[in-house]
Amino acid sequence: MSNVTYASINDDILHSMKPPGKSWFASMAIILVMLGMGIFAFGYQIRHGMEGSGINNPIGWGVYITNFVFWVGIGHAGTLISAVLYLVRAPFRTSIYRASEAMTVFAVMTAALFPLIHIGRVWNFYWLIPYPNQRLLWVNFKSPLLWDVFAVNTYMSVSILFFLVGLVPDFAVVRDESKGLKKLFYGIASLGFKGTNHEWKHYMRAYLLFAAIATPLVFSVHSIVSWDFAMSSIPGWHTTIFPPYFVAGAIFSGCAMVLTLLLPLRAIFPGFKDIIKIKDMEAMAKMILFTGFIVTYAYSIEFFIAWYSGARYERALFWFRPFGELKFFFFLMIFCNCISPLPLWSKKLRTNVPALFIVSIFINIGMWMERFNIVVTSLAHDFDPYAWGTYTFEWVEMWITIGSFGWFFMWFFIFVKIMPSLAAAELKEALNPPMRSAHE
Amino acid sequence: MSKQFSGVWATYEYLDDFCGAIRELRESGFQRLTTLSPCPRHEIDHALGDPQSRVPFFTLAGMFVGFSLALTLMIFMSLDWILPVSGKPVVSYPIMGPVLFELSVLVAVWFTLISMVGLILRDLSKHPFPKGKVWKAYTRFTRDRFGVIVPCTQHDLEKVESILNKFQAEEVNREA
Repeated sequence: MSNVTYASINDDILHSMKPPGKSWFASMAIILVMLGMGIFAFGYQIRHGMEGSGINNPIGWGVYITNFVFWVGIGHAGTLISAVLYLVRAPFRTSIYRASEAMTVFAVMTAALFPLIHIGRVWNFYWLIPYPNQRLLWVNFKSPLLWDVFAVNTYMSVSILFFLVGLVPDFAVVRDESKGLKKLFYGIASLGFKGTNHEWKHYMRAYLLFAAIATPLVFSVHSIVSWDFAMSSIPGWHTTIFPPYFVAGAIFSGCAMVLTLLLPLRAIFPGFKDIIKIKDMEAMAKMILFTGFIVTYAYSIEFFIAWYSGARYERALFWFRPFGELKFFFFLMIFCNCISPLPLWSKKLRTNVPALFIVSIFINIGMWMERFNIVVTSLAHDFDPYAWGTYTFEWVEMWITIGSFGWFFMWFFIFVKIMPSLAAAELKEALNPPMRSAHE
Repeated sequence: MSKQFSGVWATYEYLDDFCGAIRELRESGFQRLTTLSPCPRHEIDHALGDPQSRVPFFTLAGMFVGFSLALTLMIFMSLDWILPVSGKPVVSYPIMGPVLFELSVLVAVWFTLISMVGLILRDLSKHPFPKGKVWKAYTRFTRDRFGVIVPCTQHDLEKVESILNKFQAEEVNREA
């Protein structure tokens, strides 16, 4: 960071917040079309019911639950980077954590839509919340689906608070570098933060506590999501390996999404190249390699246990996954998640921006396929052959899925323009401070 | 914060000068200092005598409140509407783990946030800020400058200014 100074960090951040150009508007137009089609498809589903989706009997959980698990997983890497890596003082965290945290918030906001879309009668969503209702009926605390309601809502609240608290000192930076209405807006957003010792003292302690509290959340939330499946008796779901397997998968997919978002961001804003260094991206690639191996191990163990346990239904399911009619999705998952990250063993490819970007896209696809395989193939091949079924994608769920990407990227594009996408105070903290002794 | 301010404020370009000035001011009996910096620095904390925050006590209290709330909620709801599931006890403690954890975390986070804001406001209300035009127009503390505000009586103005200048302050401003 030899060219980077306290002042240049402010300048780079302010440069990224300049009024958007033509490419931003063109990208936003595409994103809004995606979102608009998703909203249209959701409207169609409300009008015509769940027949618009591929959900059937016996496959009562389909693309919507796949999307839910996928987006919750994407969110995980952001919290890992902002909280876990903060506690262990990982140096590559500083430059990438703000964008990763924003990714978390927007991914969880996207994930939270899917249980609502999946229940069909969305207007009854509040039945999941324990409130004294007119039927005097309380929710069932023995159900992992209710644990998930608590887990996802807590995770979303903590992620949003952690994100906003981190932004306060940087809003103060923008306020002090702006004039007129912009100054007023960021003055309100910064809550009058000045950077005094009285503020930093409580702020830094609270921030550390947020990180310490958010760290077990990283592991608990996706464990609880995995119990949605593992607490049932369905072959392919009823397994104790799910919590660590889901957590590793979530970090794997989230790190890939961090690369998918930050590599273009780094290319668009030239000043960011001095701050988001290629070695930070390389560190993310190493995380992908590590978690990718855990995921590959989990896939292997699932097959091994299906054979070793002697459970016939389990064996039948794990024969069905690679050789049944949904085998395309299985092999696509294996290629994207187990094989495509392997080139990252080469330092040359780990530090090559196009190669990293391509691998990150493959992993995003692969991790969606993983959730699809878990959700759909298990339900398609239950205990009773009479009740076996298959799944066909319908246009409504495809557009709702595409719309969810539109929703996610819309928020991220807005974020880049109205909020500091680099954490000024933390970047300055990581620099060598200006010392007279160093100048004499 | 609305108190009348009497004292001196100064700005510094270099952190070592700044910390030297803080140390000497404290040794000379000026303890109610307010410093400003673009980012938190341990060097400043050490110079100020490593002040501690009480936020963790509130976080712990929040955790207990959340835990108790979750426990009460689940026991009450389980007994209010008996819902037998798979032969499990009506009030089953092992299944309470996830909700106990999540609500403990959620309430602890809110307690942390609210206590942080409350403690900051309390500390700021005890330390007066300059009111002059020069102060209001100065915006470099969030950019690349360090600052110190020293409330003092008319009698001590000269003494404070001499300490600040000794450590090569960039600007020294007096308000009385």
